[in-house]
Amino acid sequence: MSWTSELAEVLGRENVIADPARLRTYECDGLTGYRVQPAMVVLPRSAEEVAAAVRVCARHGVPFVARGAGTGLSGGALPVADGIVISLQRLRRVVEIDPVNLRAVVEPGVTNLDISRAAAPYGLYYAPDPSSQQVCTIGGNVAENSGGAHCLKYGFTVNHVLAAEVVLADGSVTRLGGDSPQLPGYDLLGAFVGSEGTLGIVTQVTVRLLATPAAVRTMVADFATVAGAGDAVTGIIAAGIVPAAVEMLDNLAIQAVAASTQSVYTPDTAAALVVELDGPPDDVEEQFAEVQEICRRYGSTKIMVAADADHRALIWKGRKAAFAAVGRISPNYFVQDGVVPRGRLAEVLGRIAAMADEAGIRVANVFHAGDGNLHPLVLYSEAGGQHDRAEHLSTAIAELCVELGGSLSGEHGIGADKACSMPRMFGEDDLATMLRLRSAFDPDGLCNPGKVFPTPRLCGERPGPYRPHPLEEAGVIERL
Amino acid sequence: MSTVTTYRPSTLAELRDALVDSEGERVAIAGGGSAADWGGAPQYDAVLDTTGMSGLISYNPTDMTVAVQAGMPLATLQETLAENAQWVALDPARAATVGGLVATADAGPVRHTFGTSRDSVIGVTVVLADGTVARSGGHVIKNVAGYDLAKLFHGSLGTLGVLAEVVLRLHPRPAATATLAVPCDAAEAFDLGGRLIHASLEPVAVEYCAGRLLARFDGTAGGVADRLRRARALAGPDAAEAPAHVWDEVAAVSDGSDGDTVVRLGTAPDRTPSLTALIAREAAAHAVTAAMTSSPFAGAHTVRLRGGTPAAHAAVVTALRTEYPATTVCRWTAGLRDELPAWGAPPPAVAVMRAVKHAFDPDDRLGSGRFAPWF
Repeated sequence: MSWTSELAEVLGRENVIADPARLRTYECDGLTGYRVQPAMVVLPRSAEEVAAAVRVCARHGVPFVARGAGTGLSGGALPVADGIVISLQRLRRVVEIDPVNLRAVVEPGVTNLDISRAAAPYGLYYAPDPSSQQVCTIGGNVAENSGGAHCLKYGFTVNHVLAAEVVLADGSVTRLGGDSPQLPGYDLLGAFVGSEGTLGIVTQVTVRLLATPAAVRTMVADFATVAGAGDAVTGIIAAGIVPAAVEMLDNLAIQAVAASTQSVYTPDTAAALVVELDGPPDDVEEQFAEVQEICRRYGSTKIMVAADADHRALIWKGRKAAFAAVGRISPNYFVQDGVVPRGRLAEVLGRIAAMADEAGIRVANVFHAGDGNLHPLVLYSEAGGQHDRAEHLSTAIAELCVELGGSLSGEHGIGADKACSMPRMFGEDDLATMLRLRSAFDPDGLCNPGKVFPTPRLCGERPGPYRPHPLEEAGVIERL
Repeated sequence: MSTVTTYRPSTLAELRDALVDSEGERVAIAGGGSAADWGGAPQYDAVLDTTGMSGLISYNPTDMTVAVQAGMPLATLQETLAENAQWVALDPARAATVGGLVATADAGPVRHTFGTSRDSVIGVTVVLADGTVARSGGHVIKNVAGYDLAKLFHGSLGTLGVLAEVVLRLHPRPAATATLAVPCDAAEAFDLGGRLIHASLEPVAVEYCAGRLLARFDGTAGGVADRLRRARALAGPDAAEAPAHVWDEVAAVSDGSDGDTVVRLGTAPDRTPSLTALIAREAAAHAVTAAMTSSPFAGAHTVRLRGGTPAAHAAVVTALRTEYPATTVCRWTAGLRDELPAWGAPPPAVAVMRAVKHAFDPDDRLGSGRFAPWF
């Protein structure tokens, strides 16, 4: 029996898709420039069915790609042509909210926001809040180690996941983590979170819940220059304040927001910082005043304090809708996700502006300034023949972040998008060592192949750009 | 009788050379020595002493990140950071090196808020048994590029490779801090701790030790005073502000001293009262003096056994493992190793751990036997 027939038999014919027209829905994720049609999509209804599908794949050497809501921005859920997509959309039960132990047990297809909704009656919430939280699923968050606006204070998915039930590449099911973070042995759960679907498929997740903060204060501070806003961020961090969020929008981003929603941002300001503090009321009030003082010291031209929860929601609505809003001012765009050390924000923004000018391409910036995580939006027109120039600029921006001591990606993942840039950030031995971990989980490489790591097929036979080995940097070895 | 070679590198290159030169030898990695006893007793022909690698590599107070050689004592690092009113949010009881903290996954009471070293480490450079030098992560607090090898090495007890360099994220030192102490039993402690959390008073540490709940509040001067007042109101008339040194008692239980047995284990938070009862019952039955300190909401507990015979200690730990197999013996009283296997029943993913060990150290040179009988 062919493996496609076997999958249909194991899962039921109504739970597999092989019709090319219907397969098209699955040919890309949020990185829409990359498209591959899979041989089949399967829609399991339980962890057992996920495991059964993977066992068929393992037996026949068929690669498989797990998919949640398909909102990923790096092509992490890009299908493989001769493989299958395993959709986890039917595993969407909130299994348990446990207010006593401050945790929730959920299936991977549950959306990020639905966890907080389910926890809300107990005064609890799930902290990581990626901008796509209404749609993106916790399974995808685990795969990507998703962050969000509030991870500056609260950390990332990896800091909030206690345990995961995982289907391994051979179709066996195991459990990583457990009732407490204090368990003996290698932290396989920590390594698994953020592995972009290359180490297995998560079928159940236990996450930590936090008590809703007693007070929240939010402001928007305008600045006459982007550099001034960047310096203010550095000033806030250096003052020992840990805001819940510090976001920056430049003028182009503000224009985009204004074009799409009821905008509360000043239309003609060069840059705006959204600063939110949360926690116990007295602590928050004291530090909120201090942040305003710092913003003024760095030349803020206007400070708007959110008057109430509705006003705050409008500020956040504009910020979180910014990516989509960019579609109003540009037919096409690339989103980058590089990170720089927080002290170098003003410098990197200046260099990006110069590179954009030189390329004759507009770049809008809307990003998580508090942790140095940029999201430059490279605006271009496909019809106008700007694609290649824009893509080149986009890659150059990500690699600039590495050059400044940062990272290619803060939260969107490497996926298919940035795999070929990995040699900019990591040496051969670094990548080979990471692949040892992969081989321990998935010796046959069936689990989401072609992601994270550069391959000759993806990146050409050229070796990656030169990057010094740590021993070379230390002056110990030489390369001629 | 064979002699044991000691390697004491002071640079990354010397560390790499030590692993290459010691090819064919089984190597035990030693840091500050305060966790040498954890788990199984490794078999070794050579010792790799990391305390020569104790330098500060880079420190950017503005970015709130620091890179150190892994052999730097945490206490030394904290002193340097204190000059800028910053710290690594870790407060283990032991006099450990930074690398040792990663390798043991150890932490102290602020794990309640800040977790363990896995939550503070943002980058590592490691050297594998075959001399491969590899790094992951970096110098920025937000970074998802590539696999996070720091997580894998968290809790590895020197069996995957040698941590050479560690990059950490820092936190500001709070302007004010205060501790509330409430005498109570474990059930009351768990209940009160839960009420403090649900009231959004945000204690940075909640610990139950020696019949008292300790809740510490960090923040601004006004904020801490306000929260302490509200916490007292919730806790009732027996609650009182305690001096900072009450936390030394927690450290004393957690660390133990010569002759003690110390066991670490993790449970769901609401098991704290029943675990406390189990320890009291088994200790009494075997004529051992038990002390325990718990971070209930992190589900982390440390049990110290004192007095009595090694067989009695073994009986208490065995009873504990029956219910909670995931226990680590951190300190073994003399003779206990003859009475008790190093580890209890293995975790569900032991096969993956075994595969990881094989991929990183195929000849089982590093910390051989540390995780026996699991692998």
